[in-house]
Amino acid sequence: MSRESILLGRVRYSQDRELPGMLHARVLRSPYPHARIVRVDASAVPARAVALTPDDVRGLGVYGCQIQDQTVLALDRALHAGDPVAAVAAATPDEAEDALALIEVEYEELPAVSDLEEALAGSVLVHERIRISDNDAAYFGIRPEQGTNVCHRFRILHGDFEVGLEQADVVIEETFRTPAAQHAPMEPHACLARWEGGRLELWTGTHTPFNVRSDLARVFGLAEEDVRVVVPPMGGSFGAKTFVHLEALTAALARKAGRPVRCVLPRSEEWVTNNRHPALLTVKIGATADGTLVAKRVDSWIDTGAYADCGPGVAQKIGYSAVGPYRIPHVHVESRCVYTNRPPNGAFRGFGATQAAWASERAMDLLADRLGLDPLELRLRNVLRDGDVFCTGETVRDVHFAECLERAAAAIDWGQGRSGKGLCVLLKGMQTPSRAQIAVEAADGGGYTIRCATAELGQGSRRALTLVASELLGAPLSEISFPDPDTDIVPYDTRATSSRSTYMMGNALEEAVRELRKDGRRGVGEFRNSGGLDPDTGQGVASSHWHQGAAAAEVRVDEETGLVEVVRLHAAVYAGRVVNPPGAELQNEGSMIMGLGSALFEAVSFADGQVVNANLSDYQIPSIADIPDGLTHDLLTKPGAEVHGLGETALPPVPAAIGNALGSLGIQTTELPLMPETVLAAIDRRDGGGVR
Amino acid sequence: MRAAPEWLAPSSLEEALALLAERGDEALPLAGGTFLAALLNQRLIEPACLLSLARIAALGGIEGGEELRLGAMARHRDVELSPLVREGWPAVARAFGVVASPRVRNQATVGGVLADADYASDPPAMLCALGARAVARSAAGVREIPVEELITGYYETSLRPDELIVEVRVPRADRAVYRKFRTRSHEDRPCVAVAAARRGAETRVVVGAVAGRPQHFPELCRDGDAAEIGRRYADAIEPIADVRGSAAYRKRVIAVEVRRALEELAT
Ligand SMILES: Cc1cc2nc3c(=O)[nH]c(=O)nc-3n(C[C@H](O)[C@H](O)[C@H](O)COP(=O)(O)OP(=O)(O)OC[C@H]3O[C@@H](n4cnc5c(N)ncnc54)[C@H](O)[C@@H]3O)c2cc1C
Repeated sequence: MSRESILLGRVRYSQDRELPGMLHARVLRSPYPHARIVRVDASAVPARAVALTPDDVRGLGVYGCQIQDQTVLALDRALHAGDPVAAVAAATPDEAEDALALIEVEYEELPAVSDLEEALAGSVLVHERIRISDNDAAYFGIRPEQGTNVCHRFRILHGDFEVGLEQADVVIEETFRTPAAQHAPMEPHACLARWEGGRLELWTGTHTPFNVRSDLARVFGLAEEDVRVVVPPMGGSFGAKTFVHLEALTAALARKAGRPVRCVLPRSEEWVTNNRHPALLTVKIGATADGTLVAKRVDSWIDTGAYADCGPGVAQKIGYSAVGPYRIPHVHVESRCVYTNRPPNGAFRGFGATQAAWASERAMDLLADRLGLDPLELRLRNVLRDGDVFCTGETVRDVHFAECLERAAAAIDWGQGRSGKGLCVLLKGMQTPSRAQIAVEAADGGGYTIRCATAELGQGSRRALTLVASELLGAPLSEISFPDPDTDIVPYDTRATSSRSTYMMGNALEEAVRELRKDGRRGVGEFRNSGGLDPDTGQGVASSHWHQGAAAAEVRVDEETGLVEVVRLHAAVYAGRVVNPPGAELQNEGSMIMGLGSALFEAVSFADGQVVNANLSDYQIPSIADIPDGLTHDLLTKPGAEVHGLGETALPPVPAAIGNALGSLGIQTTELPLMPETVLAAIDRRDGGGVR
Repeated sequence: MRAAPEWLAPSSLEEALALLAERGDEALPLAGGTFLAALLNQRLIEPACLLSLARIAALGGIEGGEELRLGAMARHRDVELSPLVREGWPAVARAFGVVASPRVRNQATVGGVLADADYASDPPAMLCALGARAVARSAAGVREIPVEELITGYYETSLRPDELIVEVRVPRADRAVYRKFRTRSHEDRPCVAVAAARRGAETRVVVGAVAGRPQHFPELCRDGDAAEIGRRYADAIEPIADVRGSAAYRKRVIAVEVRRALEELAT
């Protein structure tokens, strides 16, 4: 996939794939956040269209990558405004949409859980029973609290928090919030399904072809080998296209129609399909007068919406990310994933690290302020260094947090006055444990073919792996082909998430090339990382290696309106060894720009349980005009080091760096985004003398 | 299943006006399409026919003199970049130049932005402050409508279905300023827009994007300093609340931005 083909519009994404006789699908969605479905009557839909109603799918299996809580359509209850209750396939998308209007649904509205507070009050249960999934994405010990809306609770116990707190001279306690955000990839969710001799075949943009395969096998009662998932390049994803979203519904329609069916979501439906988790974190942190951290407690709640998706995983990652890359002898974390009657929330570039860093790193600056210490000093005094023990009990190696911080600080002239400037340091784990396999084949006509499940979502994985292969094989790029991942052909891979592909697959590739040399025709390589955390103590190995970064921001504030201008923004990211320098730089820049949106104005808004800004005018993302002139970044490298994933690292530290820059002016905010109105309220608090 | 709208593309104004006289209720004029295309794609409107104005040469052009004449089909980008406008009506060039992105400005037209009467558009407040008039024509005749009276409320104008805006006439001012206050992306519409113009002893201040139509209070501008007038505008306006800001927040910004506009006008 060359840059030219992307720019010239020649790449065929999932939404462009076609098959002879194909029909187009549209989805009928619940208008209520919570309702009993009394009756669905599709008898008025003309015979040339195919309608799918709850009765068609009642007998099918339940799915969900971590918790089995999803049915192909809502059966007896619709659990969020936007929950699919029926679908139609017809000759054109417009015809399908016209047919939707002919389906009659009788609802009986039920009391709904609209936010975390209501969910925790527990008077309405979104799901009666919480069943853990057998999908391999549910590998980490899920701890549902039956009879409540908490579908997972992750805990870290390290030292004794209460004892640690007694040693503290200064304690800060504060609550921080992050709203839902939308990924807004250029290509919406899109999927094409066909049944062929009892086998299901899907062309779908997904980072997780093997997880999709096992969930669909479950839904349709098939052997996994009887489901084939092909992954065309995605027109962006940012995490939106992980696990099953449209696939089950499209496949069920295709089966009923007896013809291939394609479903491409209209833009507005993206906001009811997958968003970023809103989060509420309370941080209590104590230090001695010289700035040595002694104790930290984090209580975290994320709103996963009506279906868990990978929310339990996000809660786990938030759990340790919110401790931050610090040496703290006494730590207690309680991190929960909570159901509400909102659209489902799932993976979003950063996978919880943005919400975690916003809370953890804002709290660090409040602490520095109270101690009268330079925020950089406070961090450098406590940051993890090689050989230190993290709150999970693991000893960290090859860590460069201090260097990232120093580089970021220097980039905004930290030494020459700190007014209007802020910093944030970031620790993010990589999928652990996981397994990656890759095959290299000598093609008949000469050259080589790479067979691997790594999906191309615009991150440039194919290019990066092709470059590594070219070096290992001693063959020019033009002789190496890398077809779309196809679960019928490629060997197993956990998934293309958590910035792991270049690292994991790159390592597996070395073995594959060695094996190819022996075999002559085909070589398969495997790379595993091992570890994992005990869900009740948080002890173990969180990550086999760490994504590490820091951001520094300088702002100017219009104190009469609260408008924030980011003058300089710098990210320093540890890259180890860089495989594809232009690609690496683009990942950093893209992450920072996305971080700016989260920091300054992105938020999904709700009224009465409905998303009210489900279009790109009412929900804005940064444009080229929003990029500060002073947007710069560093890739820290070390000769001979491991490759470190770069897909996400520069995003999560951006909002907190900007929030801390405001904090340096006495403008203390706890809630994202930093809309001028929010900032003006903080200025009022400061000037009213009521600043905490 | 709807049928695709009938496509009418007259090449003369007379022909267009005759078509409108005949089918005014079902024929929808299409200029740059930046507003209409979104509605059509989402099927929020399903017009029986579209009357494209693209081939009517008489609707184009930008001319100067005592007054500035902007053809209804002049694009925002043309207004923004026209040396004539920049020289004689720099605040007009600015108000059109801060709309959305170059992509939108290359397409959006002068007639379209007035006829769609979106409360959060930039040019209307500036045109009001300068006392501009829209020239509306129908098969029955011509009339001039002050922009202030053209936009009557949210997406509502005083145009009749058989009328087209053919041009906008903008008088000169001694000095004029346009300030666009955004709360989100730089490509966003304004949260609060302030246009101010001075002609001799008269000062006009118009606030846009805060209510159904541009807000103008001549009696509040007669005396007092900039800060005082800003406060009066904030008191007089009942702002709306939307994704760009609450009503209370808008009131505060109105006071600040009106004051700043008047200070800028005085320099
Ligand atoms: C992404 C985006 C961002 C935007 N941001 C801004 C912004 O920041 N500031 C801002 O001011 N605006 C903004 N706009 C609005 C944009 O400027 C208007 O959509 C545009 O001016 C409409 O002009 P048009 O020529 O495209 O109109 P069309 O879409 O063709 O028509 C609009 C309406 O006017 C009618 N009409 C058009 N011409 C005539 C005529 N001569 N006589 C009678 N009726 C007519 C049509 O029938 C229709 O009802 C934005 C639009 C988009 C799509």
